[in-house]
This record gives sequence, structure tokens and C-alpha cells, in this order.
Amino acid sequence: MAVRILIADDHPVVRHGLKVLLGERQGWEVIAEAADGMEAVKMADRLNPDVVVLDVSMPRMHGLEACRLIRENAPNCEILIVTQHDSPQMLQEALLCGAKGYVVKTNAARDLLAAVDAVSQHRNFTARDNSRDNTGLRRQADETQNSNR
Amino acid sequence: MKLRILIADDHEVVRRGLCTLLQSHDGWEICGEATDGRVAVEKAKELKPDVVIVDIGMPSLNGLAATRQLVQQDPHCKVIVLTITDSDQVIREALDAGARGFVLKSDAARDLVSAVEALQLNRMFFTPRVNDMVLAGFLDRRKTATNVPPRLPTLTPREREVIQLLAEGKSSKEVACVLDLSTKTAETHRSNIMRKLGFHSIRDLVVYAVKNNIIQVQIPSHVSSGGEDPAV
Repeated sequence: MAVRILIADDHPVVRHGLKVLLGERQGWEVIAEAADGMEAVKMADRLNPDVVVLDVSMPRMHGLEACRLIRENAPNCEILIVTQHDSPQMLQEALLCGAKGYVVKTNAARDLLAAVDAVSQHRNFTARDNSRDNTGLRRQADETQNSNR
Repeated sequence: MKLRILIADDHEVVRRGLCTLLQSHDGWEICGEATDGRVAVEKAKELKPDVVIVDIGMPSLNGLAATRQLVQQDPHCKVIVLTITDSDQVIREALDAGARGFVLKSDAARDLVSAVEALQLNRMFFTPRVNDMVLAGFLDRRKTATNVPPRLPTLTPREREVIQLLAEGKSSKEVACVLDLSTKTAETHRSNIMRKLGFHSIRDLVVYAVKNNIIQVQIPSHVSSGGEDPAV
């Protein structure tokens, strides 16, 4: 069965790029695009996608708030945060809001497919820039998610 | 003959988006892609594109400095600056650097094709929003021209390159390596910059680089004091 994906980013060019990257994988379908957090929540509610690829800095409603609401309304829907913020604090906040995965935009071409693959199977994905030591961060992420359960 | 376009942006997602957007236009081809300003300048030298689309906030050499070098390298090179920053200062600096077009990233899907078409016809392109800002800035400058001190009084383009690399955390040795200079020359640039700007620490230099758009720093919108984060 196809993995149904909703993309939410306020920049059409980025949505376009994400769609092209995700379209390369057979069996994945981008079912809709949202231009802000509020639209993402409404679309997720209506379409019940398997995965929402969600930007953080969006107008009308912040991505993390959208993440929290989507998880509340559609608990089976997994969230992958794709953001320019390469920081452990933001990762931790995203996980606290219920995100399953976190990808930094600079690395999206490298990490996006693996991340969607993981979260669509309800697995965590928290890879960050390889130039940094992310072992501690992963441990921190796991601890955060465990404490949420 | 096809119009040859070079795209420079450090985000592959954005490059992919731009490529598909522009490739669908008849008579245009993407002749190359660059991940930072320095690579863009090198690739432009090799590929001789008709149009270069340059993101401002790129590592190693930012889009404004890259634009300056691209135009200096080939005065016929037409550069469109693509940016998340729509400040009056950035627009002025882009124009000073020799950009022929200025498109906000948020408007790129709508405006970029029109911008390339304009440059193809040897015209300039500014989005309506940028046009308004340029006009307002021009009128305002006419009123206050005598009171406005020069923003970057004595820095050379090379010194601005050095500032970016230092502000990105590189040592003098690393700066020398990137710019193909001796470490001693890089250190001389560094001390000249500090003296000219009256700075005593790298922290001052980083603040200066951020304030003058030499580097761009994204602050999460929920951390900032209000307003939306325009970052991609």
C-alpha cells in the first residue's frame, strides 16, 4: 500500500523540491501540500496521511504547534520535521510535540528518503549533520520519547 | 540556442525546486548547480552561463560577494539574487554588487520565470514589493543623504570575504587555505579588518557580519521577539 504524504512548507519552491525528491520513491504518494501550519492541521485532519513532512517556521501557525495538534487529532499520522534549525534544543522540542523524525534542510537531499522510510514504519529518525557528534543528541531524543510514553 | 542557467543555493531541496521550475520552460537549460558562492564563481568561469541565480545566504562566500565576483569576472553575466531577506540594505547591496534581478524566495515560484525572461530581454527584474522598497529607499535617501554615513566605509571585497569566513568560525590558517593565500596574508587581512572597524574580538566581528548581512543567522520564530521567521 502506498505511503500517503502531506507536505507543509510556506515556500512553494521548497515544497516543489520536496515533492520531486519524494516522487523518486516508488510507492510513495504526495497527496497534498499545505502552505502554513493551520492548513497542515486541517489537511491532516481531513486526509489522514501516513506521514506529514512539516516545516517549523511557518506563518499563521508554528510548525511545532501544528505538530502537536496533528498528533492529537490523528495519532496514527507520523510527523517528520524538516527545518533549517540545526539545534538539539529544537530537536528536543519537536520530539516533545510528538514528531517521529527530524531532518535539517541542508541535509534533506541526503536524509529525507531514509527519514520518511523510517517514520512511515513508526521508527525514529533523528540524524543531524555528520560533522557534529550526534550520539548524545540521539540518546537525548530517545530519552525524551521514552518519557513521553 | 538555449538560455543556459546556473543555480547556486546551499539547499539541495531548493535547487531541485528551482531546477524543475525552470527546466519546464522551453528554450532554457540548467547548465550547472553550485552549493556555495565560491563554487558558483568557479562554475560560472567554466560553464559561461547566460544567467546565474544566486542565493544570498550561502556558506563560504555569500551571494552578494559572489555576485560581485561573477560580474567582475564577466561583465555580461546576468545575476538574479534570490533571498529570504527583503531589507532595504540587502537590496541596495545586491544592486551595488551588480545584480540585474532580485526575487524573494517566498515569491520565487511566481516570479522567477518572469525574472529570467526579463534578463533574457536585457531588462532588469524586481518584484513589485522590491520595487516599492527601492523607490521608498531612494526617496528617503534623497531627503537624508547628507546625514547618512557610509555603511561599509573602507572594506575591500577581499576583506569582506575574510570577514565571512572568520564569522563562520574559520581560523586564519583555514581562511588562507580557502582563499589560496599564505597564513601571514590572511592574518594581515584579519588585523587590518579589526583595526579598520575598531574591533577587539571575534565576537564583535560576528555581530558586525550578521548586522551587515555578510552571514545570515536563522532564529526560530518562537524564540524571536515577534513577527514571522522568514527563513526557508
